Amino acid sequence: MSPAIFPATTIASKLTGVFWRHPKLLLGLLLTPPLLWLGVIYLGSLAALLVQSFYSFDDFSGLVIPEFTLTTYAKLASPANLSIILRTLLMALAVTLASAIIAFPVAYYAARYALGRWKAVFYLGVMLPLWSSYLVKVYAFKLILAKEGIVTWAASATHTDWLLNAALALPFVGGASLSSSYLGTFIVFCYVWLPYMILPMQAAIERVPVGLLEASSDLGATARQTFWTVTLPLALPGVIAGSIFTFSLTLGDYIIPQIIGNSASFIGMAVYQLQGTAGNVPLAAAFAVIPILIMLAYLTLARKAGAFDAL
Amino acid sequence: MPQTPAVTFCAVTRHFGPVKAVDGVDLTVAEGAFFAMLGPSGSGKTTCLRLISGFERPDHGAIHIFGQDVSAVPPHLRNVNTVFQDYALFPHLSVRDNVAYGLMVKGMGKAHRLAKAEAMLDLVKLADYGARKPAQLSGGQRQRVALARALVNEPKVLLLDEPLGALDLKLREAMQDELKALQRRLGLTFIFVTHDQGEALSMADSLAVFDKGKIAQIGTPAQIYTQPATRFVADFVGSSNLLPPALTLALGGPAQWASLRPEALRLADTGPISGVVQSQRYLGTGTRINLTLNGTDLAAFVPAGSPVPAEGSQVTLTFAPEALHLLGDAP
Repeated sequence: MSPAIFPATTIASKLTGVFWRHPKLLLGLLLTPPLLWLGVIYLGSLAALLVQSFYSFDDFSGLVIPEFTLTTYAKLASPANLSIILRTLLMALAVTLASAIIAFPVAYYAARYALGRWKAVFYLGVMLPLWSSYLVKVYAFKLILAKEGIVTWAASATHTDWLLNAALALPFVGGASLSSSYLGTFIVFCYVWLPYMILPMQAAIERVPVGLLEASSDLGATARQTFWTVTLPLALPGVIAGSIFTFSLTLGDYIIPQIIGNSASFIGMAVYQLQGTAGNVPLAAAFAVIPILIMLAYLTLARKAGAFDAL
Repeated sequence: MPQTPAVTFCAVTRHFGPVKAVDGVDLTVAEGAFFAMLGPSGSGKTTCLRLISGFERPDHGAIHIFGQDVSAVPPHLRNVNTVFQDYALFPHLSVRDNVAYGLMVKGMGKAHRLAKAEAMLDLVKLADYGARKPAQLSGGQRQRVALARALVNEPKVLLLDEPLGALDLKLREAMQDELKALQRRLGLTFIFVTHDQGEALSMADSLAVFDKGKIAQIGTPAQIYTQPATRFVADFVGSSNLLPPALTLALGGPAQWASLRPEALRLADTGPISGVVQSQRYLGTGTRINLTLNGTDLAAFVPAGSPVPAEGSQVTLTFAPEALHLLGDAP
């Protein structure tokens, strides 16, 4: 009798054999828990939200009536609620655009030029703010932007008050001080979400081969032409990923506009109040559906524009 | 009136920190030449190419392209184009748009540039591939697209950085013939970087052999092959027997380093070399046998059809006196 090549004696070694012969079994065992988590907890709760937005709310009894109706969406379409949606949307757009413009040079430097220790400095600089409490940062900014704060002081010390005053005198976005105007809300949103724009952008720019930039230059393109025709199209998936973060985080935030700004309501604040104090879960759910729809529309547009062609 | 050379290097030096990538290179490439830069990796040949395209700037010395000093001319304003080693095709653009890219950035109208791109794709035998993305092409096809993308700009000099390195042997040989034919037809100056000595010898009109940032020898393929200037050239180009001065003296030459091609050694009844066959290697066109003489390894080439001595057998070799080529190295 010849000796066995692989004497399968222990249970572990027999199990190894089974998994080797049926690779899909192992894959299934590994994937089931996370898929259940994704399916039930993520998508399930989202479906529950969607369903509740089709219920209605009785203002007199304060009870949710679990019957399908569109009255909640009709209420959502009231001028007051539409202005909340429009305000949030414009703010998210402005924050995303500004973040992208601020983030690109930083991400480009980090991806192309930062080496060794400077790369570490870059990561620390971008991530460090994320490690401290979000509330602390927002309250700190309230003091920084207040009328008696360091910005006003610095402006008068450098004789640039006129610039600050001109900004505050702008119609609609201005106000008595930065901390009580849309301008202030915008600045703090940009500050808080910037890392979420920089990091995916940096990763995307890093993946654009330097050889392509050289090829472009070799073919006669100026630096500006190379940027618009090679770097940006190839880094666009990263820009889109970053913008999804800044856009959706702004759409859903309810703390920053409460602390900084002119107390005008945003979608997040509306959800918080409707659900917490008023108990109007259906309208809160309907509000919460809006960012989802906006994001879907945004991604469809981005896809149509060819933003993901380079993936 | 003498013709203006396509490219001249005058004492060009480029160091990267302590590494002397290019170290005092003088070079003249005639217009319309198929010029090869040959050398092992790290010998400075690619840096020389990048100095011509403008991606590197010389620390010292001057580079002229058709008589014009280009030290202050950035890459995008130089009338030279490059076929990159990895082709560097734009993955987000179609093959047609890749080829038309150079014309686009120069502001040529869409219809005009796409027509030119199609004509160029036709020239490289990819007429029906314009709508595809580079990722949908094979390596050889990508190589042709890279070639078309460079040629459509009508460069004065075309630079090729190991363009055939990524292709398999059959395709490489076919592309060698095609490139050579294309160069003849267009009458363009091609400067070609390769570490493959067979490729350099078979394609180039003249070549420069690089060693440690310096040019070891410039000449025609025949000159480089039959009259290598140094031990490095003799060893790197072809497969030469290198004879130390003592052995050269013993074989009837002066006390100098010399080279002797394996195919110059013939089996004979009497001759200056005799030894025991250590090993043999079948090469298809013949068999190479190896033996040791006074501590120096020697290889001889036995053409196919002749009887091959067995391993361990005693052989005697002879050669024509003129086949012993003296090298310039100090003894």
